[in-house]
Amino acid sequence: MQEFMIFIKTKGDHLASLSPEQQQAHVQKIGKYIGGLMDSGKLKGAQPLEMGGAVIHGNKGVFKDGPFNESKEVIVGYFHIVAKNLEEAIEIAKANPVFDDSEGSIEVRPIKQMDGIN
Amino acid sequence: MPVNEKNISNKIDHLFRHEYGKLVSVLTKTFGTSNIELAEDIVQEAMLEALNRWTYNGIPTNPVGWIYKVAKNKAVNILNREKYKRQYASDIAHLLQSEWTVAPTLEQIFTDKEIADDQLRMIFTCCNPIISKDSQVALTLKTLCGFSISEIAKAFLTTEENINKRLVRARKSIKDANILFEVPTGRELEQRLSSVLETIYLLFNEGYNATSVDNPIRYELCEESIRLTEIIASNQIIKSSNTYALLALMIFNTSRFKSRIDEFDNILDLEHQDRNQWDKELIKKGLYYLEFATQQNEVSIYHILATISAHHCTALDFKSTDWKSILSLYDMLIKIDNSPIVLLNRAIVFSKTASPKKALQQLEKIKDNSVFSSYFPYYTTKATLHFQNKESKKAKKLLDDALKKFDTRNHKHLINKVLNDFSGNI
Repeated sequence: MQEFMIFIKTKGDHLASLSPEQQQAHVQKIGKYIGGLMDSGKLKGAQPLEMGGAVIHGNKGVFKDGPFNESKEVIVGYFHIVAKNLEEAIEIAKANPVFDDSEGSIEVRPIKQMDGIN
Repeated sequence: MPVNEKNISNKIDHLFRHEYGKLVSVLTKTFGTSNIELAEDIVQEAMLEALNRWTYNGIPTNPVGWIYKVAKNKAVNILNREKYKRQYASDIAHLLQSEWTVAPTLEQIFTDKEIADDQLRMIFTCCNPIISKDSQVALTLKTLCGFSISEIAKAFLTTEENINKRLVRARKSIKDANILFEVPTGRELEQRLSSVLETIYLLFNEGYNATSVDNPIRYELCEESIRLTEIIASNQIIKSSNTYALLALMIFNTSRFKSRIDEFDNILDLEHQDRNQWDKELIKKGLYYLEFATQQNEVSIYHILATISAHHCTALDFKSTDWKSILSLYDMLIKIDNSPIVLLNRAIVFSKTASPKKALQQLEKIKDNSVFSSYFPYYTTKATLHFQNKESKKAKKLLDDALKKFDTRNHKHLINKVLNDFSGNI
C-alpha cells in the first residue's frame, strides 16, 4: 500500500452556479463517493481550502508576494488516500464527483517513501 | 462522522430547493422585503459552504440543520456588521439591533410554525399586484421554489437575461412600494388571495400546456404550483373554497400529465390517452379537495373547471364520459368567462350531446374571432367536427391551412392523426 495526495484544482468557486436542486444532486453523489472511501479504509484525510491566502515567490532568500488569483486554476482542496499503486489512486481521483458539475483538474501525487525512515 | 446517503435519499424530492425557499422566507422576515436579494445571497452562500465542506468531510447526519445553522450565523454576522448601514424594514428590526436580543430572536423565528407562516407571507409578497404578472411568476420561482435563473429561463423558453430583468424589476417594485411582509386581512385578503391564485394558476398552466415535450422542468412547475397552493390551504385563518377548488383542478390535471405523451414524444388528446396510466392516488386527492371546495356556497372558475376535470378523471373510458353534465358546467362557465377558447371547448362537448353539425353551427357564429387564427386546436377541432359531419373537403382545407401556419413536428403529428382517424371518410 502506498499513500497519495490528490489535489483538486478549479477556477474560482466551482459550485457557485449550481441551483439548490443541482446542489442536492451533487450532495447525493458526494455521499456515495466519500462514504465508499471511508468504508474501504482508503481515506486518511481530506479538507477544503479557503479561497484567498497568499502566493509567495522565493528565489535564493529573496521573497516576493504575488497576488492570489482566483480566476486562475487554484487548489480548492485535497484528499490524502492510500492505494495499491498509482493506477488505483488515479481511479479513485477520477471517481470524485466534483467534476461532474464543474470544470477543473486533479493532480495525483504519490507521497515520497524514504527507506528506513517512514 | 456517519456518512449515510440514505439521509438524503431520493424519497425527499427537491429537499434543497424547498429548504432554500423556506430559508429565504424566514430571512426576508428578518431583513424586510426590501432586502430579499440579501436573504437569497445568504442562503445561497450557506448552501455553497455546505457543499464545499461536505465534498471533503462527508455529509453530516442532519444536513438541513447544518445549512440552517450556517445561514443563521451568517445572518447574525451581517446584522452585527451592518447594524448602522442598512435599514431593516421589518417589525423585529429593533430586536435585531442589539447584541443581547439578536440570537434569541433569530432562534424564535426559525421554528417550524414561524417558517410555514413566513412562506405564506412570501407568497403574498411575490404575488403582490404592484408587480407585473410575468415578474410575479419569476420571483415566486426564484425565491420560493429555489429555481436558478437558467432553470426559469428554460421553463419559459426565454433568455436568462430576460428573466434577470424581470427579477430586478420585481425587487425594485417591492422596494419602491415599501411592501410589508405580511398576509393581508379582512376585505383586502379576499382580493389579494384571488390575485395570488391567479398567478399560481398561470404558473401551473405554463408547465401544463407543454409546447416542448422533453422538458422535465415543466412537470416540476405543476408540482410547485400544487405545493404553494397547499401552503395556503393548510393555513387555519385563510378559509377559502377557491383555494381548494384550484388545488383540486391542478391535481386532476396533473394526474393525467404523463399519459399525454406517447413513446415518440407526441402529444395525445383525452380520447387517445391510456387511462391506466392516470395517477389514481392523485385523482383520489383531487376528489378530496373538491369536496372541501364545495362545502361553502361559492362558485368560481376553478370550481367549474375542477368539476369538469373530475368528470374526465372518473370516466371509465372516453365514450362513457358524462358529456351532459360537462355541458351544463360549460354553460355555467360561459356566464363567468365567455372567451372564444371556452366557447370552442364547449362546442366539442356539445357535439357529443347534440351533433357535430349543431356544434359547427355554433362555431360558425364566432369563426371570425382573431384569437383563433393563431390557436392551433381551433383547426384540428373544427376539422374533426367537419369529418364527423361527412364534410371531408372542408376538413382537409382547414388542416391544410393549419399546416401552413404551424409546422413543428408535434403540430404535424397532430394533423396527421386527425387525417388518419378519418382516412375511411376521404
